[in-house]
Amino acid sequence: MDPTSKKIKIVKPFALYKWAKNFKRIQDRFYGNQYKLRRIQQIEDFITLNNFNKVHHIEEVRIDLELSPKIFTNNISDTDLILVTHQGYSRYPCIGIIEQIQEWLKSCPKLYICLNRHYLNIDNSNLDMDLPDDFQKAITSWLQKSLKDCVVMDLSRNYVDYGQHFTWSLPDRHYYIVKK
Amino acid sequence: MKKLIEHFSDYPMVENDQHNYTRYRMGRLKHQLWLHNRKRDEIILDTHDKFILDNLKPGNTCVFGSAGYYFEEVIPNLTVIEQWPIVKKFYPKAQIIEDRCEIAETNGRMFDNFVVVNNRGDIWTELSVVEKHIANYVQSMKPGCLFFYSFRDTQIVNWNRLKVNHKEYFHNFGLHIEKTYNLNLLWHDIRFATKQKDGAGNYDIWENPDTTNGNIKFVFEYKSKTKNIN
Repeated sequence: MDPTSKKIKIVKPFALYKWAKNFKRIQDRFYGNQYKLRRIQQIEDFITLNNFNKVHHIEEVRIDLELSPKIFTNNISDTDLILVTHQGYSRYPCIGIIEQIQEWLKSCPKLYICLNRHYLNIDNSNLDMDLPDDFQKAITSWLQKSLKDCVVMDLSRNYVDYGQHFTWSLPDRHYYIVKK
Repeated sequence: MKKLIEHFSDYPMVENDQHNYTRYRMGRLKHQLWLHNRKRDEIILDTHDKFILDNLKPGNTCVFGSAGYYFEEVIPNLTVIEQWPIVKKFYPKAQIIEDRCEIAETNGRMFDNFVVVNNRGDIWTELSVVEKHIANYVQSMKPGCLFFYSFRDTQIVNWNRLKVNHKEYFHNFGLHIEKTYNLNLLWHDIRFATKQKDGAGNYDIWENPDTTNGNIKFVFEYKSKTKNIN
């Protein structure tokens, strides 16, 4: 085709996609909605087996937990577990993630947080040469060093993520953090 | 109870056109521009598109893996190459390849410009594999060919984001490509988010700049260094 005579309008790069909140549901359809993400089952089991009855869930992508709606509360001050699957917090600078975790722990001493490894240290502001070379171990070590007044338990599986682990449906690094 | 899944390959995916189109679209953001522009009297392009248009050399242009048909009305002598057969259904002129070595096998050394914009098929791997892709692209470039290459740092795999200086890591990659493939690095733009608290003491949750085109951008010139990039 010959170059156009149409008017050309130049705009700043903008987000061309609008499916963020439904991302998991779209990926579920890749498999005809027949399967369940293991990490979602892990969260449900964690909540059920530990008898958490008042869960404050902070989410972005809808992960469709199959738990009784009765256990969820909007009141962050009256909860026995804060569950964070919203990957926006992984896009905070490292110091901001730590500050936010400490803030949540003021409301509730038990936190289950899912972090997207690919976003961490998004602004290149937090380099620590003393951390392990293995990125996954380094994430755990960074959290433990930064939250000395907490017990940080790594509940993640270790693997190299080549973009085929549904990380944008549900972030991959799972931590249970309890204030000492 | 449903069976559990952890990895794309644990179970076979649905195989039909609708599914393939959805997966293709999710990874090719500029397809949205094509959908928008083809029905209107006005073409919308972003500032990175304009940057490419302003700097192209006269001659043949290849856009690979980047929904390049959205450029069709503004770039003459355009070759669009993709790896998803579904593209043929809505853009029959596209060349479909399986392996990148087919680009040169099919076209020879014919391109004066080679453009890859945030190609999902190029990333989700280590930089060493990205380099192998580039080695294939070079085979189809004429001497003097401009090579516009951009991608996102968050989809490069197997590096330690807590220990490695991001800016150095990607700049050094560009320098390595320059040295190894006779691709002179004319220009680069490597940007990361800048995070500061707002008045309420919160950080924004936005990603790195330009998730559409990629926040790591390079322009190389093959076997020469004559072009001034504006």
